[in-house]
Amino acid sequence: MLGNVAVARACLEYGVGLASGYPGTPSSEVVEALAYAASKLGYPYVEWSVNEKVAFEVAYGAAISGVPSVVSMKHVGLNVAADPFFSSAYTGVEASLLVISADDPGMWSSQNEQDNRWYGVHAYIPVVEPAGAQEAREAALEALRLSGEVRHPVLLRLVTRVSHTRAPVTVGALGRPRLRGVFKSNPSRWNLIPAHARRLREELLERWRRIEDLVSRSELNVAEGPRDSQVVVIGVGVGYRYAREALRRLKAQVRLVKVTTPVPLPSKFILGEVEGRDSVLVVEEGDPVFETMIKTLLQEVGLNTRVYGKRSGHLRATGELRLEDVEGAIAQVLGLGYRRPELLEATVKPPPRPPVLCPGCPYRSVFYAVRRAVKRLGLDVVYSGDIGCYSLAVNKPFNAQDTLIEMGGSVGLANGMSHVLGGRVVIATIGDSTFYHAGIPGLINAVYNKAPMMVLVLDNGVTAMTGHQPHPGSGFNAMGGEARRIPVEDVARGVGVDSVYVAEAFNPRDVEAKALSALRDVGEGKISVVIARGPCILMAMSRARAESISRPSYVVDSSRCRGCMVCYKAFNCPAITPSGDGKITINKALCTGCGVCERICPFNAIKPASYIDERWWNLLGLTTSSVGGG
Amino acid sequence: MASSESFNILIAGVGGQGVLTLSRIIGEASLASGLNVLVAETHGLSQRGGAVVVHVRIGDVDSPLVPLGEADLMIGLELLEVIRNIGYMRRGGFIVADRLIIPPSILDVKTPSLDNVIEALRGLDVRLTVIPASEVAEKLGDVRVANVYLLGQAISITKLGSIIGFDGVVKVLRGLPNPELNLKAFKLGYMGGGFEC
Repeated sequence: MLGNVAVARACLEYGVGLASGYPGTPSSEVVEALAYAASKLGYPYVEWSVNEKVAFEVAYGAAISGVPSVVSMKHVGLNVAADPFFSSAYTGVEASLLVISADDPGMWSSQNEQDNRWYGVHAYIPVVEPAGAQEAREAALEALRLSGEVRHPVLLRLVTRVSHTRAPVTVGALGRPRLRGVFKSNPSRWNLIPAHARRLREELLERWRRIEDLVSRSELNVAEGPRDSQVVVIGVGVGYRYAREALRRLKAQVRLVKVTTPVPLPSKFILGEVEGRDSVLVVEEGDPVFETMIKTLLQEVGLNTRVYGKRSGHLRATGELRLEDVEGAIAQVLGLGYRRPELLEATVKPPPRPPVLCPGCPYRSVFYAVRRAVKRLGLDVVYSGDIGCYSLAVNKPFNAQDTLIEMGGSVGLANGMSHVLGGRVVIATIGDSTFYHAGIPGLINAVYNKAPMMVLVLDNGVTAMTGHQPHPGSGFNAMGGEARRIPVEDVARGVGVDSVYVAEAFNPRDVEAKALSALRDVGEGKISVVIARGPCILMAMSRARAESISRPSYVVDSSRCRGCMVCYKAFNCPAITPSGDGKITINKALCTGCGVCERICPFNAIKPASYIDERWWNLLGLTTSSVGGG
Repeated sequence: MASSESFNILIAGVGGQGVLTLSRIIGEASLASGLNVLVAETHGLSQRGGAVVVHVRIGDVDSPLVPLGEADLMIGLELLEVIRNIGYMRRGGFIVADRLIIPPSILDVKTPSLDNVIEALRGLDVRLTVIPASEVAEKLGDVRVANVYLLGQAISITKLGSIIGFDGVVKVLRGLPNPELNLKAFKLGYMGGGFEC
């Protein structure tokens, strides 16, 4: 079972009544699994919210109404939800509120490596951190119990190697969910006006001391191995797994402490294990959070036990933990010789293989067309980019992501650039899900404060990068039910954008024509929005399979191909490669049948190899008139 | 396998080739044999046609990742990805790989030739088996079963065979969509044949 699924299972066992979240690697499967369960069981209520702040508030609102709730997001999502997160510690809750944050050390699919245990320290919210999939179930259950007992939110910190590692997991019976709540009016608790908040802060610190006492006695923190060893290794979360195997490999008889509740520091438990020892090595994923806290504790009680870890340089302060690094660090502290194996090296170096837009991705067609429009007008534009599949246009030949910072940042940054770049056109490129998530306030700001720009909304109907989760433009919800569709163009017009264009993403001529108009509008000082709409090709292909719609495949007529390489060099579909005779060839296995290469070939050299089912074009959002070569 | 033993596998390939599926098959078969197993997957950004590597550790293990220099077996669905992960290989370990190079879909990169890559691998202290898995799979009707073809070969020539067993894998494959084709590819891979079919 995947670690994330084990967490979802624990939520069902506990009887959670509501779950919300916003997708983000490596967190997405928690809500996906709960949504799947809800579609089978009829409970709990599960939603993909518009962003993490709203998701947090959804769960928070339910928890103060007495329904045990969970909210899940990736680490950077908690930045978006930080405002209510901090306040929730002041008010507390009526029923359990479990906040799940999946951190991404090593940045496999993220823009930073932040360690969200700091948020726990910062906001006075306890952090529970499991070591693996089985522990993830137990930790989530314990966190829900603790939250319910103390009536305080609890943060479950997952990391990539816990979330995305499959391991055997023993589960328990499903619990009875609590789906209906009651809101008890209590202004002095739920209204954070300064007079109340001052009192609540006193109460919060009081509660924090109680929580510290509870986690000091938690059965999730345990120790193994000899009680008299001079060195103690403390493994926090998944750090315990690395430390345990490293000690076994080194055949070292050393006390090993497993910490599952790092924040607040379980002081009594830790002192019991550390007092009288020479030194401590802390193995933890992310920042030296626990290492720093132990040092403070030791100073406070006047112990001079040495503390090693990332601050001391025994472990790397960047990237994921690795067994061999942990083994080296333990050997160093114990004064053992440790030699890493000499690694094999090949004389041939592999070229880089970054992720790319899929063959048939509608966004390739859009970037191709928009760049042509920009070129035709002779503009020198800035592409203010964003987070999603289209981030992959950062690579050649598109080079269409000059900035790429955070969710919704494209439009926000474009506001500032627009005011200071002296008329240089700024194109904010943003996906549909990201637009709903955090793009709308930036767009309103642009209209209100008159910041001319073109906003290119790449609308494939789903949150594609994280696994095709639905959003307010999809027309269905997390549990598979029908939902009111909120089209991007309605939002744009609604907030006062006068220049709104909707283009067919798989029709580059349409996109180019509309981008041309939109860019001219920007030249006249307007804010323009171009919505390029076409389904994620992976979704379109699976629908075609389900509905028995055959997809065409395309071939090159080599008598017509003149080797201009537009399809390879400017369009850059992975299914198209040079054939060696100066012409090109189409890889049948990769070709999805989107047909865009036929539409852009200047010499009509690319043709479908078979009859085309009209319904395929409908699936791609193309009108008949737009299909064809040329 | 003895209770204190472990077996480290790395599965390397390109997003979309069936790397995750293969790792799950091995994971399921290990579980069915009553063995502890950890499968550390790559999700999200890394899947869009990019390099994908999954770590599978069977037996007495805690850490989800294979340490550098300690993979007992690498199953390579593509040879450039085998080269990229070569540092994980234990000296004398097994590599079972498809005779396939997929050039990266980015402009202005030089891709080494198949012969150069194979020659470079042959010069290393590993037991190398390069077989035309995707070619056979394509002849069978679906290039995506190249993964189980390679698994069949790995089961037949490495210790993995005695760990999860031929029959154990067959049981898992029966539960997959299109079990007949998967079983056929797996069995052909086990025999190391099928080039003529």
